[in-house]
Amino acid sequence: MRTVKRNKILKILAVIIFSVILISTSKTIISPQRAGIIDLLSVPLKAIHSFFGSARNIMPFASLREENRLLRERINLLARKIDELKMVAAENDRLKDLINFRKTIPFATIPAQVIGRDPSNWSNSIIIDKGLTGGVKQGRAVLSTKGLVGRVLEVGRYSSKILLITDPNSKVGVMIQRNRHGGILAGRPDGKCRMVYIALDSDVAVGDKVITAGFGAIFPKDILVGEVVRVDKEPGRLYKSAVIKTAEDLSRLEEVLCIK
Amino acid sequence: MYKIARIQIYLILATALFLQGGAVNYVAISGAKPDLPLMAVIFFGLFLGPAAGLESGLAAGLLKDIFALDFFWINTITLGLTGFVIGAINTQFFKESKRADFIFVLIFTAFAMSLHYSIAVVLSDSIALGFLEFFKSSIIPTAIYTGLVSIPVYSKLLDVYKLKETEEYL
Repeated sequence: MRTVKRNKILKILAVIIFSVILISTSKTIISPQRAGIIDLLSVPLKAIHSFFGSARNIMPFASLREENRLLRERINLLARKIDELKMVAAENDRLKDLINFRKTIPFATIPAQVIGRDPSNWSNSIIIDKGLTGGVKQGRAVLSTKGLVGRVLEVGRYSSKILLITDPNSKVGVMIQRNRHGGILAGRPDGKCRMVYIALDSDVAVGDKVITAGFGAIFPKDILVGEVVRVDKEPGRLYKSAVIKTAEDLSRLEEVLCIK
Repeated sequence: MYKIARIQIYLILATALFLQGGAVNYVAISGAKPDLPLMAVIFFGLFLGPAAGLESGLAAGLLKDIFALDFFWINTITLGLTGFVIGAINTQFFKESKRADFIFVLIFTAFAMSLHYSIAVVLSDSIALGFLEFFKSSIIPTAIYTGLVSIPVYSKLLDVYKLKETEEYL
């Protein structure tokens, strides 16, 4: 009985000693084999790892979807804000130009905004947001930063109607800036103007600038009106005429200055 | 009896005038822009008869006169007369063709603009614009532009209001 017990103890001791020996030599004996096995398995391991990594990246998790929706909404909001800011910046530039122009001209002026346009295909007029209470007076000239616009024809308390220089009923005394030859600027319904009664010996040419002559009491002198785009000389006529392109695109006016 | 409710006629006219005073200015091609109120009046005259043509013409003309710097009543007279004339002859033509509609709009736009010019010349002594120049620079481009715009617009209006060439509205 005693012998059996001693054998058992010896067996356990032997196992422990063997284990200690095995552990102490494992680095030198097993490591190369283990490394070989891992090397062999590294290719499929890498493939599996990259597959799961990609899957994790593209998995449409609910939280990501929600975050994506919120970010899209934010992008839309910011895009709208950028558009608004661009409009404000453009308006700011226009108003800056208007203020700078106002400083350069020797007349007291009233800035006004265009609030309406003529629905007729014959006349060319605009409605502005200033009237008698704003200091606008009937018959006064109206300018923009680029040149002459027209004159005040009807004045209400809070709004006024401006007859544009392109209206067929509008007549303005003008002259060619280069040679000071005069004429009358008459409007046409298509938005262009015709300078009539130009002397036959006048050397008016395409590209010449046309300015106000300052005759009469409405339009001050030397305000830019436009540019000659065509010169006509009909046989049998005592005068030449020219088609004038206005300095300002009158169909897209947004702010004007009314001379006080 | 109207095939289109009167309120809808006035709504269409108001929309046309509103667009004419705003958005149409941005689609002008070298100064020419379509005349939407006139196009609407021609439509009502053409498809609903002389009474509707006259009524819509007078209404659109009066509104134009209020907002335009023109001789007062000139647009009322011009559009009213145009609407009536086209309404009076509408039974004599086959209108179910886009080409025919285009030609109608072209001719009656030219008619209305020429009438307007004639009255303006009589009333004003300061118009330096000759008729030939006005015809070339304004009437022809505006009539063509209005005619072209009328093709899709009329087609849509005919679909919406189910106006077919039947005796019901002629």
